[in-house]
Amino acid sequence: MNHIIVLLQKEWLELRKNRSLVLSLLLPPLLITTIALSTVYGVGQSPDDDITELGAVLVDPSLEGMNAAELGQAVLGKQFGILFLIMPLFIPTVIAAYSIVGEKTRRTLEPLLAAPIHTWELLTAKALASLIPSIAVTWACAGIYIGSIALIAVTTRVFSAIVSPAWILVMFLCAPLLSLIAIAASVAISSRVSDPRTAQQISGVVVVPVLVLFFTVMSGVLVLSPVMAIGSAIMLALIAVVAIWGAARLFQRESILTRWS
Amino acid sequence: MYAIETHDLTRKFGGRTVVDRLTLAIPTGTVFGFLGPNGAGKTTTVRMLAALIAPTHGAAYVAGKQIGKDNTVIRKLVGILTETPGLYDSLSAWQNLVFFARLYDVDKQQAEVQAERYLRMLDLWERRNETVGRFSKGMRQKLAIARALMHEPEIIFLDEPSAGLDPEAARTVRDFIKDLRAEGRTIFLTTHNLPEADELCDLIGVFRGQLLQIDTPNRLRTLSSGRGTSIRLHGDAQRWVETAQTLPCVQNVEAQNGTLSVTLQDPEQDNPVLIRTLVDSGADICYVEPLAHSLEDVYLELMQN
Repeated sequence: MNHIIVLLQKEWLELRKNRSLVLSLLLPPLLITTIALSTVYGVGQSPDDDITELGAVLVDPSLEGMNAAELGQAVLGKQFGILFLIMPLFIPTVIAAYSIVGEKTRRTLEPLLAAPIHTWELLTAKALASLIPSIAVTWACAGIYIGSIALIAVTTRVFSAIVSPAWILVMFLCAPLLSLIAIAASVAISSRVSDPRTAQQISGVVVVPVLVLFFTVMSGVLVLSPVMAIGSAIMLALIAVVAIWGAARLFQRESILTRWS
Repeated sequence: MYAIETHDLTRKFGGRTVVDRLTLAIPTGTVFGFLGPNGAGKTTTVRMLAALIAPTHGAAYVAGKQIGKDNTVIRKLVGILTETPGLYDSLSAWQNLVFFARLYDVDKQQAEVQAERYLRMLDLWERRNETVGRFSKGMRQKLAIARALMHEPEIIFLDEPSAGLDPEAARTVRDFIKDLRAEGRTIFLTTHNLPEADELCDLIGVFRGQLLQIDTPNRLRTLSSGRGTSIRLHGDAQRWVETAQTLPCVQNVEAQNGTLSVTLQDPEQDNPVLIRTLVDSGADICYVEPLAHSLEDVYLELMQN
């Protein structure tokens, strides 16, 4: 446990000293939150009657009986709510790319592996170094979103529709699991690439399922419910377990030293 | 008591054998020079002995612990300077040292004491708060050596410690290694620098995939083909080359700076004949001594063979 704490302290010290990296981590989440809130606010101020024809409106029972202003805010608010799931995928891939591939390019992995630490301690520390900031930023942005929606929603029904139990479950359960999957993917990619930018670009592929989810919610094909949120969390937990098992198999002292390019 | 012992230590990568049946025994407190060309398998050997990679075959004991069984204990008992310094550029010298010491289970207070001790010893104390990214190659190398010693290991692996350093920095590193030797630590030194090996090492192993030779530097020098005699003469030595060459026991003669270097089949038997012939021919001999081969001669000869 002591080794993990020492490694974590080093990881975060390095992260803090890399201002451009910190900026690139914080800017996209803040932009997503700001754009989401300003759009929801704008739609509430100048509603469009055509909104009632959207597929999502027709299939989502939580939107029944809403006027155009309420519908506009609720529909967009729900859709942007899904985009918050990009954060737990994007942030760990950036940190992990620098933290794992960066160690490789700076040739610091060998002295690190020569220390009397277990490989699982190193992997755990690397994973936590990415996981904790990504969840913290995601939940902080979600908190800002919830607080701001409470202020800008034209009625309390809009607030209830956007900040639904299903969305809260997704943010609490699915976001950390998505982060874990992204970290496992980053470890796997790190074993094959030789620079952080390539790792980051390839890791970017993990956001595709979230974008698919976003478009299915937008088009009305899918309505997020608490049951679906819990079902998704269970499925993601299984994927995360398999992904971490695979990453742990790749993250072995000998293969890191002799096979990682 | 041996600090490092290997028996038929072998490492293959795919079908390629990089280290082939390496058997050696290094007594405690010895500075062992591991000499060999690039790609000879020196770094792979160090990695096996530092419990970083597993041997394909054979056994090795480091500080009495068996590689493969007691890897974590071995890692704690040894210090390693890797081929490249491998320091965190964005952290200061101080932060680098304290971080690594704590990974070796040195408590924070002791880690700070050790960091100060080694930074002062290696003339880096004034620069302790600067980020390592600003350091010169020599400073980085010195810091990496300090890192390897923070937990006071019994056995130290130094992979090319003075490679690419300017003469002053290389001298500091060599002096530091001498200090470590004086403390009775066992040092496993891989190097291409033969004069450095000659100066520092008690025992030298010449290696290219296999161990070609292992002995003290002095005894290695005598192994060179061409045992012979060095004869210092009054005047130009060149004029006595032909005289020496007339003798059947003489294999080779070279003249340089008033000295005749004569390679003989059996110096003990042939020297009287050679000296008598030269004196009879009018040569004024000042000194006669055994021909000293350099470690470089021995090394190159072993590599060519």
